[in-house]
Amino acid sequence: MKDFISVSPLKVLEKSSRKSLGPGNLGVLIARAGVGKTACLIHIAFDRIFRQEKLVHISLEEGPEKVTSYYNVMYYDLVKALNIADESEIRLLIDRNRMILAYLKQSFETERLRISLKNLAENLEFRPDTLIVDGLDFERAERTLFEGFKDIAKEFDAEVWFSALSHRHITEVNERGIPHPCQQFDDLFSIIIELKPGTSGVFLNLLKDHDNPAIVDNGVRLDPNTFLALS
Amino acid sequence: MVNDINKLRNIGISAHIDSGKTTLTERILFYTKRIFAIHEVKGKDGVGATMDSMELERERGITIASAATHCEWKGYRINIIDTPGHVDFTIEVERALRVMDGAILILCAVGGVQSQSITVDRQMNRYKVPRIAFINKCDRSGADPYKVVEQLRRKLNHNAVLMQIPIGLEDKFSGVVDLVSMKALYFEGVNGEEVRTGEIPAEILEQAQAQREELLDAASMFSDDLMEAILEDRVSDDLICQAVREGTLSRKLTPVFIGSAYKNVGVQLVLDAVNQYLPAPDEVENMSLDLGQDEKEVSLKTDPEMPVVALAFKLEVTPYGQLTYLRIYQGSIGKGDNLIITRTRRKLKVGRLVRMHAGQMEDLTRAYAGDIVALFGVDCNSGDTFTDGRLHYSMSSMFVPEPVISLAINPKDHKAQNNMSRALNRFVKEDPTFRSHVDQESGETIVSGMGELHLDVYVERMRREFSAEVETGNPQVAYREAITRRISFDYIHKKQTGGSGQYGRVAGFMEPSDEGVYEFVSQVKGGVIPTEFLPAVDKGFQSCLTKGQALGFPVLGMRVTVNDGQSHSVDSSERAFRQAAIGAFRQAYMKAKPVILEPIMKVSVESPSEYQGSVLSSINQRRGLITSSTEDGTFTIVEAEVPLAEMFGYATVLRSLTQGKAEFTMEFSRYAKVPESIAKELKSSAEKRSKGEKKS
Ligand SMILES: Nc1nc2c(ncn2[C@@H]2O[C@H](COP(=O)(O)OP(=O)(O)OP(=O)(O)O)[C@@H](O)[C@H]2O)c(=O)[nH]1
Ligand SMILES: [Mg+2]
Repeated sequence: MKDFISVSPLKVLEKSSRKSLGPGNLGVLIARAGVGKTACLIHIAFDRIFRQEKLVHISLEEGPEKVTSYYNVMYYDLVKALNIADESEIRLLIDRNRMILAYLKQSFETERLRISLKNLAENLEFRPDTLIVDGLDFERAERTLFEGFKDIAKEFDAEVWFSALSHRHITEVNERGIPHPCQQFDDLFSIIIELKPGTSGVFLNLLKDHDNPAIVDNGVRLDPNTFLALS
Repeated sequence: MVNDINKLRNIGISAHIDSGKTTLTERILFYTKRIFAIHEVKGKDGVGATMDSMELERERGITIASAATHCEWKGYRINIIDTPGHVDFTIEVERALRVMDGAILILCAVGGVQSQSITVDRQMNRYKVPRIAFINKCDRSGADPYKVVEQLRRKLNHNAVLMQIPIGLEDKFSGVVDLVSMKALYFEGVNGEEVRTGEIPAEILEQAQAQREELLDAASMFSDDLMEAILEDRVSDDLICQAVREGTLSRKLTPVFIGSAYKNVGVQLVLDAVNQYLPAPDEVENMSLDLGQDEKEVSLKTDPEMPVVALAFKLEVTPYGQLTYLRIYQGSIGKGDNLIITRTRRKLKVGRLVRMHAGQMEDLTRAYAGDIVALFGVDCNSGDTFTDGRLHYSMSSMFVPEPVISLAINPKDHKAQNNMSRALNRFVKEDPTFRSHVDQESGETIVSGMGELHLDVYVERMRREFSAEVETGNPQVAYREAITRRISFDYIHKKQTGGSGQYGRVAGFMEPSDEGVYEFVSQVKGGVIPTEFLPAVDKGFQSCLTKGQALGFPVLGMRVTVNDGQSHSVDSSERAFRQAAIGAFRQAYMKAKPVILEPIMKVSVESPSEYQGSVLSSINQRRGLITSSTEDGTFTIVEAEVPLAEMFGYATVLRSLTQGKAEFTMEFSRYAKVPESIAKELKSSAEKRSKGEKKS
């Protein structure tokens, strides 16, 4: 699956200081509605899974059927784009290495997540390297929630990726250049990436790169249909 | 009456197990005056619900076979099919939906969209059936119809909209507010038969208004007239109803009704909704295959003057003889008419033609397109198409799932032997998911079906209805074989014994098929195999599929392509080519590296969240692959794929792990290759079996 790495949106991190988010850290993708946050998160998931790592997908809005069907659609595009002939092995890898945890009707609490992760480790030997959190409402989230996630990231030695919804009409950024809705928590995140639609595709920009100043020209352009990196 | 097709409804009632389908149907029969007393499923009076007429159904309090009945409501004639909820009887739902024009999807106000609701919904989509939803059991503690509407949207992708809101809930549930007329409705009298209209209670008025706004928003998407009327503030009940009807028929809107069948709340309004929102027979398109035109799809017209096309969708043995339920799609059928069964081209004469009313029969002289009726004493299979001979049509086939579990049965004595084979003959005709064959090696009769309960019911019915006492073995998983690579064959069948000889050569290749079905492709050029012998070649290959050479399990499917061959002007015959195909199959099969497949079930376990860990480990121990865990309130639903072979006895294990607080459902998902270790085990037990036989 060498090819995949070259088209994954995670390519944006290749130019970053550590080339990855790293265990114990939080990362976030910021974009307006409909730009493709979930799609990019799923590509992050594929990247991890293809490296034989374990992944937990935490969905705070949709049930597991929807999440699965989203993966299937993305996967189908990927198979086409990379011209993969025999994909049964890969499919098996996805089934084995991905776990979906869904929380319906605002039933999410970090404590419940902690219990589930413990249960997965103790009963299934399933220890995720990466957690993906989709559908978290950043505008209503308290700082303590992210602190809770940070604790979980450290405790389970995993990296955690979020998606955050921004708005067209809120353009302000904080003194470090971080936009709404992450400007109050940016110290808790190690990597912050912004997704922006443009005329020739969707652009990924690295806004925060651990403790280093983000390099200016670091953009990656994505195909707006498949969300795979264009060269 | 006859031509009033607009006032005819054919509807199915389907849902998750125990959600109250039969209880609702019982009320419907009572309010439409088909029955004069209400009997509960497993009620204290011991009578049992009318539609659960089978002794076994009454004892167990579940529906096993779907039952059709007819009733009349406010000038409309309604044919209703009550279907079972348990997955083992899923074929009953499948064929009911196949012939229904509309459906009521019932949901439990506490359980919401449960695993079987999802399956049923998928079946409704398969046959493009417009539906209304009824949220039942609003009297139960924990009832939350708003939550259920939300689940309809999220889990089933329905554009669901409440047509009513509850007045009180749980033990205070007393009636509903109709959001169209903006009136409160209460159901009084001993059995809720008196519908009293009142003003909306002040404390829920605001909510009712808000919900009505939502309803108007949703409905106006289907009617410009309503949209305009809303802007001009002159909305009428009729405009709303028309818009909702439009949305429902196009399957883009699901109107949601609420109530409690058990407490007799809201049932009459569901009947009103059936009349108002579900389609008349001529408002849905029904397709048929014209066998005279290479199976071209043709549309049928709900017109009594056109040539007859009807489908036998269900067979049932009654104390009065064998009944065949028919849906007439086109033309009309009268007593004394001649009909032809498309499959066999056999002719039959219509003797008695009846309509079923809750166990009673009404004799008819003629029935017309759109209706559902039954014939007496007709010999056919379920799924057969009937015509009057003018058309050579076949209704497209129904989706029939493969059996996943089998059981060896042995008659206790000689009498039982005969009765058993009579019973099996009957059951196989009635139910396409029930199969029976005699194992050539052991001589045992093996029946297979959709689950333990399914087979259990048939064994019980053999005893009760056919006095066939049988002993059963342990249930076995229905394994399959499938080839994994493409292999060529080239086989000559040649025999010279006295008189005329046999000669046929068949060449080509076999390869795995994606869908796991058998497919025969002929690429024979220049008539090297004469066209008239090709069906024999096809049949020859097919006959080999019943028993693979790897371990003797049925072969799940493959694509066979024949591209060369040879014939002899005198010695070639159908028989010779059939034999040649069998030879070719045997030549290639083992080289195509067959593997053993086992049924994998989609399992869903719902339990209080504190048991998540135990549930996960119980599945993990069963070679299960957990795909997700969903927290919903205080409950957790774990979903997994587990080999059926590991699921025997799981109910007991789960009960003790969770103090009886968890529930699980499973349904067939797919066939998958068994692990090497299990393939070995199967192999050695197959070897032992055949050795054992040789000794005896
Ligand atoms: N509290 C309450 N119980 C109900 C209601 N409707 C049905 N029940 C009970 O639920 C149980 C199952 O009802 P059935 O009508 O047999 O359900 P079903 O959907 O036909 O079940 P299957 O055909 O076996 O799938 C029975 O004990 C009913 O009395 C209701 O509105 N409220
Ligand atoms: Mg029932």
